[in-house]
Amino acid sequence: MSMVRFDQVSKRYGAAGKDALNGVNFELQRGELAFLTGHSGAGKSTLLKLMMMMERPTRGQIHIDDQLINTLKPSQVPYHRRKVGVVFQNHQLLFDRSVYDNVALPLQIAGYSPVDCARRVRAALDSVGLLQYEQRNPIELSGGEQQRVGIARAVVNKPALLLADEPTGNLDPELSAEIMDLFVRFQQVGVTVLIATHDIALIERMGKRRLILDHGRMLGDTHVVA
Amino acid sequence: MSSPEPRSAGRRSSSSRKRGSQRTEPQRKGSQGASAQSIGMLGRASAWLGHHQLVAVETLLKLLAQPLASLLTWLVIAIALTLPGALWMAVNNLQQLSDTVQQSGRISVYLQTSVSDADARALQQQVNQLNHVERTELIGADDALQQFAANSGFDDALALLGENPLPAVLLVEPPLGTSSSDLSVLRLALENMAGVEEAVLDLAWLERLKSLLALGQRVILVLGGLLALAILLVVGNTIRLAIAARVDEIRVVKLVGGTNAWVRRPFLYTGLWYGMVGGLMSWLLLLLCWLILQGPVGELASLYGSGFELQPLSGGASLLLLLAAMLLGWLGAWWSVSRHLDDIEP
Ligand SMILES: Nc1ncnc2c1ncn2[C@@H]1O[C@H](COP(=O)(O)OP(=O)(O)O)[C@@H](O)[C@H]1O
Ligand SMILES: [Mg+2]
Repeated sequence: MSMVRFDQVSKRYGAAGKDALNGVNFELQRGELAFLTGHSGAGKSTLLKLMMMMERPTRGQIHIDDQLINTLKPSQVPYHRRKVGVVFQNHQLLFDRSVYDNVALPLQIAGYSPVDCARRVRAALDSVGLLQYEQRNPIELSGGEQQRVGIARAVVNKPALLLADEPTGNLDPELSAEIMDLFVRFQQVGVTVLIATHDIALIERMGKRRLILDHGRMLGDTHVVA
Repeated sequence: MSSPEPRSAGRRSSSSRKRGSQRTEPQRKGSQGASAQSIGMLGRASAWLGHHQLVAVETLLKLLAQPLASLLTWLVIAIALTLPGALWMAVNNLQQLSDTVQQSGRISVYLQTSVSDADARALQQQVNQLNHVERTELIGADDALQQFAANSGFDDALALLGENPLPAVLLVEPPLGTSSSDLSVLRLALENMAGVEEAVLDLAWLERLKSLLALGQRVILVLGGLLALAILLVVGNTIRLAIAARVDEIRVVKLVGGTNAWVRRPFLYTGLWYGMVGGLMSWLLLLLCWLILQGPVGELASLYGSGFELQPLSGGASLLLLLAAMLLGWLGAWWSVSRHLDDIEP
């Protein structure tokens, strides 16, 4: 029972263009942490977007949590997204509200009571070490701190799957390592994590599984897929 | 759960990282996913209601917090509603007036000036025998002159005339509910009698008024329809701008699992409140119209010996105005949202 399974997945943007993804197969087990690497334009973001149903595959099948997602109706997509946490390089925080309200957003959408909500937001902010900033506006925070707010928002709903697209893109090496440590800690508590990055130096030190994309093809995997 | 010590400086240190790993404890309990499903049906329903309440209050407060930004939209709605509203009020009042007039529908028979008083009385006897005549009243030429002099204040001028220019009038009152065809037959019969100059059916102007009122109602419908369209466009455009200003937020909300209904909700409530405030303003404008006109109209009516009073909008009509305004605001928002919101995807 894998958390993520891609079967011969291809994605072509528009009618004419070349394939952004071409016949991609891979599997992620529950509780696994893997890095997705490859040159710029290799298709990393596309692969993550397919998992969030931000794009739909042209061919192939995508199973997440044993559910075939590429046939979901548009009305079911929001409920799928609630089960997956995402972190982006441009952290996509809202600067018209506090850190607390940013992190609470997924819970409000899912319909948690204010009491439950407060408990979980504090727990999430605590887990990224930002509890003391809950009433600040995220614009006052540094890049690394903002990224951690983004991570808190991604995990506040306790998703079984956490995706990150270049989460350390703008950060210096020390902060990058710190962010990666955070992801490892979430893996340690049972979350399946997939991180797209081109920061090879950093991930080589971490000794985790690597999926390598090249021009839309899955070139290599440091892990033998079952 | 709160941090006891200030840690802003040590945030990036390894010690903070260590404590960070302790602090992931709460995360451990429910990390097997499936958290959204743990909210039951009842919880969902109450969350849904709660969100409606929250959004309703929030959007209203937001509008009221920036009255200047919303004022233009409110005024357009108010004016667009006030125009047909005032027309409706006018038609409604005339309708009531015409209803009271109908009860005194009668025929004025003007006699030739050559007819003597005795002949006039004989004529009255004759008319009393006719069908569809309930009551008659003879106003002799002298009475008519006296009444006119008393009412107009022209008695000095009339004295100069020397001769009475007014004819005697026989007022013929048919019973209530006489059909208009019977009335015109009666009028013709009266006019053809000897000594009669002219018989005037007072209902003629009433008929005209009634067809005018029917026309007025058509005008209200057309004007109201056009102005309703204008309200839809104005609210729709205002909401379009509001959507454009919140594109980032909408993307994030959809990314973390917000449904279209959830995203739509604040905009629909905003439209509803635009309509409501515009409707209230329109109601105040109509009230103002009534206050200004009510005195002069009352005086005018009393000049004609009528107890007619200009009626303000009734409670039911006021409620209808408000509901229509809110519905239009909501529809305008819905139209705009359904055109623009689904295009915004993360
Ligand atoms: N929305 C889009 N429309 C058209 N082409 C796109 C779009 N997004 C990505 N692409 C193309 O798909 C390929 C893969 O892009 P992407 O997944 O962003 O790669 P990466 O994240 O690895 O840099 C690139 O050639 C890119 O130009
Ligand atoms: Mg990318």
